[in-house]
Amino acid sequence: MTAYPVAGLSIQGASALGLPLPATGYARQAYGTVSADFGPATWLTVGADGRVTVFAGKVEYGQGIRWGLAMAAAEELGLQTDAVNVVLGDTDRVPWDIGTFGSQSTRYTGVQVRRAAATARETLLELAVARLDLPADQLTCEGGSVTSRGDGGRSLRFEDLLENQQLVREIPENVQLKAASDFTVMGTNTKRLDVIERVTGRAVYSRDVIRPGMLFARVLRPIAFGASLAALDTSLAERMPGVFQIVTDDGLVAVLAGTDQQADAAHDALIAEWTERLGNISQWDLPRLLAEESRDRVTTQEAGDVESALSKASHRLEATYYVPYIPVAPMEPRAAVAEWEGTSLTVWAGTQRPFGIRSELAALFGIEEKQVRVIAPEIGGGFGGKSLYRPAMEAAKLARIAARPVRVAYSRDEEMTWSTFRPAALITIRSGFDGDGRLTAWDFHAVHTTADRPMIGQRGSETPYQVKDLRVVVSAGPAPLKPGSYRSLGCAVNHFAREVHTDEIAASLGVDPVEIRLRNLPDPRYRRVLEVASAQFGWHTAAAPSGAGVGVAIGLDVGSYTAECVSIEVQGKEIAVNRVSAALDCGLVFNPDGARSQMEGAIVMGLGSTLFEAAEFENGRLLNGSFARYRVPRINRTPQIDVALVGTDANPSTGAGEPGIVPIAAAVANALFDCTSNRIRELPLQRQL
Amino acid sequence: MISLHVNGERRDARESRRNLLSYLRFDLGLTGTKYGCGEGLCGACTVLVDGQPLRACLATVGSVAGGHLTTIEGLASGDVLHPVQQAFVDLSAAQCGYCIPGFVMSAVALLARVPQPDSGQVREALSENMCRCGTYLRIERAVLRASGVSD
Repeated sequence: MTAYPVAGLSIQGASALGLPLPATGYARQAYGTVSADFGPATWLTVGADGRVTVFAGKVEYGQGIRWGLAMAAAEELGLQTDAVNVVLGDTDRVPWDIGTFGSQSTRYTGVQVRRAAATARETLLELAVARLDLPADQLTCEGGSVTSRGDGGRSLRFEDLLENQQLVREIPENVQLKAASDFTVMGTNTKRLDVIERVTGRAVYSRDVIRPGMLFARVLRPIAFGASLAALDTSLAERMPGVFQIVTDDGLVAVLAGTDQQADAAHDALIAEWTERLGNISQWDLPRLLAEESRDRVTTQEAGDVESALSKASHRLEATYYVPYIPVAPMEPRAAVAEWEGTSLTVWAGTQRPFGIRSELAALFGIEEKQVRVIAPEIGGGFGGKSLYRPAMEAAKLARIAARPVRVAYSRDEEMTWSTFRPAALITIRSGFDGDGRLTAWDFHAVHTTADRPMIGQRGSETPYQVKDLRVVVSAGPAPLKPGSYRSLGCAVNHFAREVHTDEIAASLGVDPVEIRLRNLPDPRYRRVLEVASAQFGWHTAAAPSGAGVGVAIGLDVGSYTAECVSIEVQGKEIAVNRVSAALDCGLVFNPDGARSQMEGAIVMGLGSTLFEAAEFENGRLLNGSFARYRVPRINRTPQIDVALVGTDANPSTGAGEPGIVPIAAAVANALFDCTSNRIRELPLQRQL
Repeated sequence: MISLHVNGERRDARESRRNLLSYLRFDLGLTGTKYGCGEGLCGACTVLVDGQPLRACLATVGSVAGGHLTTIEGLASGDVLHPVQQAFVDLSAAQCGYCIPGFVMSAVALLARVPQPDSGQVREALSENMCRCGTYLRIERAVLRASGVSD
C-alpha cells in the first residue's frame, strides 16, 4: 500500500518487519515467491475526530487477532479496547503482510501495533506540552484525552489536539513501550470485540459478498484426483434456465447463471467424459508405501553416535506409529467474488494470504500488483488451510470472461475434496534407556506425505528430552492427497509418536508417566507446564496401566510450551474424554481470555483427529467428503477443559493458537492404555478399538 | 406467488421450489444464515419457522409458505440483543463466528421449549450444530446464562 496522511495523525512504519527466517522459508517453500513490500505503511491513525484505527495485514479467522491488536493499541494509548477500530486484510488499506499463519500475529504484528500506538501517544503528549504548557512527565494519556496529573481540569481530547492538523510520524527505533508492570489492558480479561457482529448476522464472510449484477458460478470438478477431461457436451446445460454462459477456458469449465440454484442445475446437465489416472494410491496402500518410499531426508537433530548408543543400551524399544490424512473442514467452504473495472481487479476472498493471492492474481493476468485489490473479509475458519485459495483465481478468470462480477463458492464436498489435507505420516522410533528410564539413545524417523513441502513434516520433530546420542530424520513420502497447512503443521503428528513412545518406555519400566518426563526434561519452562498441568489435574503417581484412564503428554510449538493431562472412559467403541487439564507458557500474555479460548478450541479440534477423523480415499476419490460420512467433534461430547496460563513477561509473546492441539492425541492414547492396557499406535483411536 | 413472513415483514417469492437458504441469503439479502454443508448436518442454516428450528438448506420456500420465519437478523429489537445473543457477547462465545447464528437460533428454540434447561439438555439440543473452532464450552455456558441459570 502507499502510505498516505489523513486528517489527524498517521503513524507509519516498516511493513515486512521482524519476519523470522523460518516463516519466510516456509512461505517460500509453500507458496512460491514472496515479494515483500517493506513499506513504509500506515499502522495507526488518530483521526481528526479523535478515533483510533489500527491497520494490519493479518486476517481474522477466529483466532481473535482483531481483539488482541485492539488491546495492544488500547494499552499504549490509555483507551478501552472497544474504543479502537481495527482494519484487517484489505490490500489497499493495510501494511503488506506475509500471511496469517504460524502464530506470528501477536508475536510480531502485535508488537508493531504497540510501537505505533506508543508513537501516537508520545506525539499527542508533545502536542499537549505546548497547548497545556506543562512538561510531558506531568501529563497522562488516558480515556482519549491528555490530562495534567496534578489538575484533572487541564485536559485536552485527542480531537482537540489534532484539530486542523495533518501529521505524519515515523515509529522511532527506540520508541518506549509500557512496562508489563504498568499494564491495565493487556494481560487482563476483556470481552471479545467482534461478537456482536457474529451473533446478529452482520459479520460479512466471503460467501456473503453480493455485488450488483453478480453471476453465480459452478465449476466442473474432475471426477477423481488426476482425471482429465476427455469430452464435454454443453448443449443440454446451455438450454437450462438462467444460464448466462458456459465457460471452457484453459482447463476451467464453469457454468455462469443468475442464481446459485440455476448454476447448480446447469452444472448437473453438463455431460463430461473423463480419462482417469491409473494407479491412484488408496488409503490402504499408504502406510506400506511410506515404509518403502521416502525422499528428501532432512536431519533436524543429531548428536553423538546413535547406532553405537543403541547397541550399548541396557533397555531398548522400537515402535512404529501411523497418522492418516485429515481434511481441514472449516465451517465456511471457500468462496470468492471477483469484479473487474477496466484493468483493475477487486477480489473478496476469505484467504489467510491476501497479499500472496494478490501477487498470484497479478501474475495470472500479467498486471501490476497495484491494479489488484484483495479483501479478506471475516473468515469462517481456516486453521492454516486457507492459505491456498483457488476460487479467487477462478472467480477472477470468469469475471473477466463474462465482464460481470462472478461468485465462486465451494460446496461442502468441493471444500473437503479440492482443498488441502494435513499430511499422513509413518514414524518409526528406536530408543535406548537405562533402568530408571533415562534416555541414552533416540532414533526418530518420520515420513510425512508432504511431497514438495517437507517443512510441514519437520515441524516439532526435535525431541526436548536430554539424550546424548540421537538422530531425528524427517523425509517426504508420496502424496496421493494434496498436502497443506493445518493447525501446528506436522508438529501434532510428530508429538503423537514421540509422546506415546515416551509413555511406552515408562510402562516398560513401571515408572509414572509424569515422572519419566521430568527425569529427561532439562528445560525449566517445559518442566513448569508439566508440573502445573499435572497438579491442576490432581495427578496421582502411578505406573500405567493403572486402570484409572489417565494420560499425559507435553508439547512445544511456535515457541510455546504446553502440557495436557486427560481422563477418559471407554464405552464400547467410543472413547469418552471427560476432562483435560492444560498448561500453556506462551511468554508474555497479551490477552489471557483469548489465549484460553484458543487452547480450548485447539483441544476440541485435536480430539477429532485423535478419536475419529481420517480422510478415506480410493481410486482417486475422497470417500467421506460429506459431514454424513465425516465425523467431527460435537458439543455433547466436549470434555471439561481447564487451562492454566503460566507464561510471564520474562519471555516475549509466542503463539497460543496452535500449541493446544500438539499433545492431545498422545495424552488420550496414553490414557487409553492406562484404562485398557491396549497400546494403540495409530490414529484415529476409535477405529482401532 | 408464495407469501411468507420473514422477521415480521411480509415477503413474496415467485418460485415455490426456490431453496429457502438461497432465498433468504441472495433474494432477501439476509446473509446471517449460513451455508455449511447443504445436507442439514451442521446447523449453520438454522432458522425458526413458527418458533420451530428448521434447516433452511433442506427446505424450499414453498414448504414454508404462509409461515412466520425468524432469522438471526430478526432476533434483536433494535439495539437490544436477545438474551441468548447478549449471553454469547458477555462470554466471548465465538471464534470465527460462522456457526454462531445457527447455534443462537437453535438455543432460542430450546429455551422457548425448555426455559431452564440443564447442561445435558443444552448439549443434546445443540449437538446437531457444528463448530470447528471448538467454542462449545463457552456456547454451553452462554445458553445456560441466557436461561437465567447461573454458571
